[in-house]
Amino acid sequence: MRLRDLLLKRLLQLLAVSWGVGTLTFILMRALPGDMAYRIAAGRYGMDAVDSDAAALVREELGLDQGAWSTYWSWLGDLLQWNLGNSLVSGQPVSESLWHMLGHSLLLAGAGILLAALIAIPLGLASAHHGGWLNRILLTLSTGMRALPVFVIGLLAVVVFALELNLLPVAGFGTPAHLVLPALTLGLSLAAIANRVVHTEAERVFNAPFYEFAQTKGLSAWQAFLRHGVRNMSVPVVAFFGVQLITVVEGVVMIESLFSWPGIGHGLAHAIFARDIPLIQGAALMMGILFVLLNTLVDLACYWLDPRGGQLA
Amino acid sequence: MKLSYLCTSQISTSRLCGAVLLLLLCVYAFATPLLSAQDAASQNLSQILSLPGGNSWFGTDHFGRDMWVRLADALRLSLSMAALCVLTSAVIGVTLGILAATGPSWVDRTLDGVTTLILALPGLVLVLIFAAIVPGSFWMLYVAISLIQWIEYFRVTRAITQRIARSPEVQSSRLMGFGALYLFRRHYWPAIAPQLVTLASFGAASAILMMASLGFVYVGIQPPLAELGLMIVEHFPYYSDAPWLLAQPLIALALVVLSCHLLGGKKAS
Amino acid sequence: MSLISVDKLAVFVGDTCLLEPISFTLNAGEKLTILGQTGSGKSLLAQAIMGNLPKGLRTEGEIRLFNSPASAKSRRELWGRRLSMLPQEPWNALNPLMSAKAQLAETYHRVRGDAYDAAQQNADYTLELQGLGESRHKRVDQLSGGMAQRVAIACAMAGGAPLLLADEPTKGLDVNRRDQVVEQLISQSQTGALVTITHDVAVARQTGGRLMVIKSGELIEHGDASQILNNPQRAFTRELIAADPQSWPTPERQPRPETSVLMETESLAIGRGEQTLAKDLSFKIHRGEVIGVVGDSGCGKSTLGDTLLGLQPSYGGKIKRHCSETTHRWQKLYQDPTAAVSHAVSLGTLLNDTIKRHRIDKSRVAPLMKRLGLAEALLERRADSVSGGELQRFCMLRALLLDPVFLFADEPTSRLDPITAQSVSQLLVDVARETNCAVMLVSHDPHLIEKRCDRVVRI
Repeated sequence: MRLRDLLLKRLLQLLAVSWGVGTLTFILMRALPGDMAYRIAAGRYGMDAVDSDAAALVREELGLDQGAWSTYWSWLGDLLQWNLGNSLVSGQPVSESLWHMLGHSLLLAGAGILLAALIAIPLGLASAHHGGWLNRILLTLSTGMRALPVFVIGLLAVVVFALELNLLPVAGFGTPAHLVLPALTLGLSLAAIANRVVHTEAERVFNAPFYEFAQTKGLSAWQAFLRHGVRNMSVPVVAFFGVQLITVVEGVVMIESLFSWPGIGHGLAHAIFARDIPLIQGAALMMGILFVLLNTLVDLACYWLDPRGGQLA
Repeated sequence: MKLSYLCTSQISTSRLCGAVLLLLLCVYAFATPLLSAQDAASQNLSQILSLPGGNSWFGTDHFGRDMWVRLADALRLSLSMAALCVLTSAVIGVTLGILAATGPSWVDRTLDGVTTLILALPGLVLVLIFAAIVPGSFWMLYVAISLIQWIEYFRVTRAITQRIARSPEVQSSRLMGFGALYLFRRHYWPAIAPQLVTLASFGAASAILMMASLGFVYVGIQPPLAELGLMIVEHFPYYSDAPWLLAQPLIALALVVLSCHLLGGKKAS
Repeated sequence: MSLISVDKLAVFVGDTCLLEPISFTLNAGEKLTILGQTGSGKSLLAQAIMGNLPKGLRTEGEIRLFNSPASAKSRRELWGRRLSMLPQEPWNALNPLMSAKAQLAETYHRVRGDAYDAAQQNADYTLELQGLGESRHKRVDQLSGGMAQRVAIACAMAGGAPLLLADEPTKGLDVNRRDQVVEQLISQSQTGALVTITHDVAVARQTGGRLMVIKSGELIEHGDASQILNNPQRAFTRELIAADPQSWPTPERQPRPETSVLMETESLAIGRGEQTLAKDLSFKIHRGEVIGVVGDSGCGKSTLGDTLLGLQPSYGGKIKRHCSETTHRWQKLYQDPTAAVSHAVSLGTLLNDTIKRHRIDKSRVAPLMKRLGLAEALLERRADSVSGGELQRFCMLRALLLDPVFLFADEPTSRLDPITAQSVSQLLVDVARETNCAVMLVSHDPHLIEKRCDRVVRI
């Protein structure tokens, strides 16, 4: 696929994300059971302060008093202008809280990916080079780890490091110590898959005729690895990272909820629980956009690494 | 030659282990309500957090509910969801995959566009929003998970079918006057079928994980129904008093996912 | 001084011997060719000398390189500098992400020890010399097989190793390219020693020097190349030589009886994708005629067949079929028979499918199978558990049951070993004549075409 087509496809996805999220949250709003306006108003002003005026105000704010189609179009129009409205719970502008959450999410994701790379690349290379018992141990560990959902890994980490050993805080944010457990959880769950991918690709390259020829024509093992190994391994590994981005995003949602890490995932899960529709829309939109952008970055990296412009994800 | 033989036999051993484990879990989940008079919802507040053994094999939870029965209930729910999702998405994905690969090019382009649209949003986020529309609904979760999962079957089927459709074996059969049904029976299906087992196993595992994740953030199946992710959150506060209570849904979830992964064998990326 | 001396070298996996003990000594300026069928264990010899046998294989006997005993580690030091091996499939042996020049220059720089700039210049110079000046910045996926082979040879020689091992250096190359590669090898070996391992009698003939013939790991004959090839002592060697298309008996040409025209083309143009491969093809095909198709690889020989059979559109001109026969009487044989049949069911089931589909008289099957030398028991097996020769004859059986008027045979014997190739191609021609079916036979070997066909179409 050529680069232009690829970027076009990603742009299309960006539009699709906006439309999809907008439409789904619109349906969500229309499908709210009972007199939602009343309940939302109760959530905002407290049970005692609610009267029919407050409810009417909320109803107007959500456009529940107008026809479905006109509301839908203005809903999408607002969305495209990044006019995401105010949170129904806190009353603050959604876009403001989003930027705040984005920083936390990116920090967590970045730390987790870095940890995963630090764990998975050396282990994958070592198990491909050494084989035998090391490979079997890593295979067993990885298989076991992959059977655990990311929130279970997090939960076990909390039990061991926070509750039993008292080394780290259980949840929250603020100090670097708060980042350790969430990042470790994300890193471990990513590394469980990634080390096997690195292993497979390294093994493929080590056994490739071109790798052997690089050595028989006179390069040392180390020269062959640096000049002919690294790049050939990175192409599929980076491409696979694109596939794993889903795991990253899903991991971030679960881990933030578990550790009360104030990122977008936590915001989304919380908003869904509290039925805070503008925030649901904003958080989902932000996640979708982030997802597409990261995918584009991976595409560009693949394109740069592999000048053949081969089949990309 | 010997080496590769060893490898294949090792893989099939692990797949066999997965199959046996999954079968045992299914028997436990589906036979328990038939054999046990206990009800998963009946509370007994005089016997809460009791140790495993005696009257209830797995102990009781914080409402005094029998864990042996509740765990079976939760597993049954997860396994049913997984089976439904796998069946639906496989049928849709394989059919559309073959259509896209062998049909006119506009079908292929349209379906490619549709998958691009769906894949633009991370699966869990899509399921979360769906779950929010009708809270606590099993069927909404089923629709949302299937909506995401059929794409994997579609892509694999389409890739295999495209490769085979261009191969000499299909050209040869065409030249000999065989029709579309024959091509499917003798060429496409035999190539797709072995991949389906792998896809279905991993798909089942991810459906189960998805449902548990939703339960864990409290937007999936609602109490008092027994669901693995939900049970994990519910039991966490009693972690220091009754660690076995937290361990049970954790282990059950890990076992069922592990069995699927083992059954699926090596995942072809 | 002897560059290499091998004494009773044997290769084992466990206790099974894959290569029987073999001994030879080569001095500077000498050439040795090892000739044998594919799968006869001869490739293991090159790997055993290099010291890069696959895991699980072990050697016995002694190897002395440059007058000192070779251990695994000492040989690693020699790689590229004193001892070098040409890769079997050059398009797999070059780094897929690196340009030809970069791969050659790094060898000059890091192996021979040239300064960086000098290495770049030397690489340019060598590639120019090999006629690859234009392609120096291309990667292996942009090079043809012959070009890749020349780059690989240049890389293998760049360290200046006097002792060169060439394992099937001509596999998959056209005759022209093959000759070029052999010449390059011979010229490189003037000062050093060359060990060539091949299944191709023509390569052995061209290389000259000494010759060893190997049959399933066992040494059959040993001596001067021209002497053995002209006067083989052992039956196996005779068979091997006879199977080379060049040595096939020349058929007696009787004037063919005039038959009606089956199909004709008028200034036909063929192509694939956006590329037109050949234009202005005008010829007639008569019933029962055997026509050879020759041309360089990639020139559109297979595309011609697909266009004539209507499997893909023509890019101009006309194709006229002078008969109203149904489409299934226009058939094709494939280069790789294993890719041309389903592996999901037994051959018998596939045969029954064909019989049912076209309501073929079952009594015709047994005699035809006998004629093609196919055993009844074969039908119980699947495609992956029969040999290539048997499978190609099975494909012929299926095609012939449909009473074809035209058969396009696309390199039907190139994946078969020479002895099988000879009998299968003979059978194809004979049966086609008997049934009055026109055959278009594609081959990269002009000798094969010459010995089998009535006339030739050149693309």
